[in-house]
Amino acid sequence: MRVIIEYTKEERVKFISHLDLMRTMQRAVRRAGIPIAYSQGFNPHPVMAFASALPVGVTSEREYMDIILAEPVSLPVLNERLNHALPRGIAIRDSVVTDDKTPSLMSLIERADYRVAGAEWDWEKAVTAYLNEPEIIVEKKGKRGAVSVNLKESIHAVMADEDDPKVLHISMKTGSKGSLKPEIAVKSMLELSEQHFPGDESFGLPAAVHRTGLYILKDGEWVTPLALKKD
Amino acid sequence: MDKLLLDRIMGQVSKPARYMGNEYNMVEKNPEDVSIRFAFAFPDIYEVGMSHMGMKILYHLLNERADTYCERVFAPWVDMEQKMRQTGIPLFTLETKSPVSDFDLLGFTLQYEMSYTNILNMLDLAGIPLLAEERKEGHPFVIAGGPCAYNAEPLADFLDIIALGEGEELIEELLDLYGDWKQSGESRTAFLERAARIPGIYVPSFYDVSYLEDGRISSVSPNRDGVQPRVSKRIAADMDKTWFPERIIVPFMDIVHDRIMLELFRGCTRGCRFCQAGMIYRPVRERSPERLLELAEKLVQSTGYEEMSLSSLSSSDYSQLELLVRQLMDRFAKKRVSLSLPSLRLDSFEKEYIQEMQKVRKTGLTFAPEAGTQRLRDVINKGVNEEDLINTMTAAFESGYSTVKLYFMIGLPTETEADLRGIADLARKVTDCYSRLQQAGQRKKRLKVTISTSSFVPKPFTPFQWEPQDTMEQLREKQQFLKQALRIRNVEYNWHDPEVSFLEAVFARGDRRLGRVLLSAWKKGAKFDGWSEHFNMAAWMEAFEDNKLSPDFYAHRRREKDELLPWDHIDAGVTKSFLWMELQKALRGETTPDCRLDCAGCGIRRLGRGLC
Repeated sequence: MRVIIEYTKEERVKFISHLDLMRTMQRAVRRAGIPIAYSQGFNPHPVMAFASALPVGVTSEREYMDIILAEPVSLPVLNERLNHALPRGIAIRDSVVTDDKTPSLMSLIERADYRVAGAEWDWEKAVTAYLNEPEIIVEKKGKRGAVSVNLKESIHAVMADEDDPKVLHISMKTGSKGSLKPEIAVKSMLELSEQHFPGDESFGLPAAVHRTGLYILKDGEWVTPLALKKD
Repeated sequence: MDKLLLDRIMGQVSKPARYMGNEYNMVEKNPEDVSIRFAFAFPDIYEVGMSHMGMKILYHLLNERADTYCERVFAPWVDMEQKMRQTGIPLFTLETKSPVSDFDLLGFTLQYEMSYTNILNMLDLAGIPLLAEERKEGHPFVIAGGPCAYNAEPLADFLDIIALGEGEELIEELLDLYGDWKQSGESRTAFLERAARIPGIYVPSFYDVSYLEDGRISSVSPNRDGVQPRVSKRIAADMDKTWFPERIIVPFMDIVHDRIMLELFRGCTRGCRFCQAGMIYRPVRERSPERLLELAEKLVQSTGYEEMSLSSLSSSDYSQLELLVRQLMDRFAKKRVSLSLPSLRLDSFEKEYIQEMQKVRKTGLTFAPEAGTQRLRDVINKGVNEEDLINTMTAAFESGYSTVKLYFMIGLPTETEADLRGIADLARKVTDCYSRLQQAGQRKKRLKVTISTSSFVPKPFTPFQWEPQDTMEQLREKQQFLKQALRIRNVEYNWHDPEVSFLEAVFARGDRRLGRVLLSAWKKGAKFDGWSEHFNMAAWMEAFEDNKLSPDFYAHRRREKDELLPWDHIDAGVTKSFLWMELQKALRGETTPDCRLDCAGCGIRRLGRGLC
């Protein structure tokens, strides 16, 4: 039985790495006594896969993982037991059963939406500057050094919030080829619009970055991975 | 505390989870609801401190008290420290991000000498005066415990209180007293005077030390009424009744020992003459298998850990090991909890255990013969012989192991070149043993033998406390010799930096005057001295020079039998006369049997009985 689980990663745990999160989930599953399936082989590990790594320091209201159960468990029971066994700041929102043949979530996710909140900038100006450029080359640091990518091709959409001047919405492309951190996009947009970015290394981005959702494209429409629910 | 600023800083440092807290099983209380705030400090980074069992025990024990909130604090890594200093963020606790200076008590655990500068650095980051005499009403009391507390004289100027021995009961008595004192509105000194009456509590400022012209100590005496001339360590008598946590914090990060540590017993009856732990943790007191199984069950359930280790000074000496291992296996193999047995001793390690362990997961094998020849092993009373070693290795190889680590010490008293050659001989015998199995077609994988040598550091409360340490030159020559001698196929050689061992030797047997050196070295930038990338020998040598103290006096001098040692006013159970007798036997190459077989009269029975 394969289950897709939607969960949050909140303020109080936002500095844990993706690896830490994976370990935390594995241990929570053990504490909850959920009969997760183990892989075969020399060093068996619980069968658990994550949709998309969340950058350290970023909160999220909708993250996804899928697990394979060795024996069926009712979903409300699974949600409740897991919630009880998780550290505060990570909470299960929902879960659905999916077909065993569903491809990995990581290969399906194509879009990640973020809300960036920072009072110090004019987001309208930043968005306009971004839209006026035909091409924006930014450096992306990876394991094998820096690579240049066109920011325009990494972003689905950007928009200053209509009501809250502190807030920018940014919708990033993600996928198996890797994705760009929202911080890099924001930094580039601020530079383009000649706004000060505190780049003096001693301070982090004085903005709260929050992931609002991860999406897959199904029949031409953006839906959350919960739409992979088995009929 | 400016939490927004802290947030920004954490976004810019490596591994911010070190400072985040909020792990599963972290205790949450409202500081306003308690009358005592206790900051438990570990003078090293999170990954090291969170691996320490004493902290787990005391953290959860203190938080059982309704009147107390115990929070944790670790040494911030250098990148974090730099940002904290730049932005004026003081040292803070993980639980509530409160400044450490707001706490009633600040307790450091002293696990190794090379963490001392981190203590000064943490006090400074907290904005607490470094010198105990400069602290006033409203400052926390700075306490220290742990193995190095048995001779914390180099830290005497910086500590208000030193706690000797096992903390479980002692700390409760101290906190009860603190609660009463806080309500009474009396002076700081009044609290210290009352605390000094608790057995096991040592208030260094209540003792005056005078010195002879040649630098040796002439006397240590109390400087006020009601202070015990000697302070005895505390012992928790019954391990089954001694409090042990049933829930422990499960870190998000990967820490050094990321597993359940099941403490089988305290103390050790082997009597290895170099080993301070084997002397200061006497007597041996075991937990019953029933209690251990109960604890294991609860801890597996409350943590979700996938690994458990059996922890104690010499786990394979546990009297009911076979029964325990079997039952743990039966119960937890199906829950996929793997079991590892560290600190293995060669002579009691049976093939069957190896197979039991393998049922879940295979880990590398580690042995510590400590010395290369039987003669030297007799001198140090390490009751292990070569035949045992080779038999055990053979058994291990036959059951599928191909990675072995062997630990030795160099610079032990009476060591000669023959003893060093013995290390290489032993390595060769191990590889030969494996080759024979390979030729017989029993083993296919390539063998990997790692030989590690540490440099002998004479420690207080051991029979070798009077002995000089080898000079750094001598140690380097010996390492050079071994580098040549250990050029053997499939054998790798690791060694320790002699400079660090030298400073360890200085501070392990140091006196109060070294406090000035610590302070100078810290001012010159010394911190994280146990981390090779930060170790700064030049700063240390300057600090000795500036204070006109010779490190050689502490490290390389042979003490006389009747010399007053800086820790003679501390009673760790074993008597000085016993230790001297053991030294004489060592020099004659005579061994002392295991205390379970025959009482050697070490003196611990005055303080409490164990399995001896």
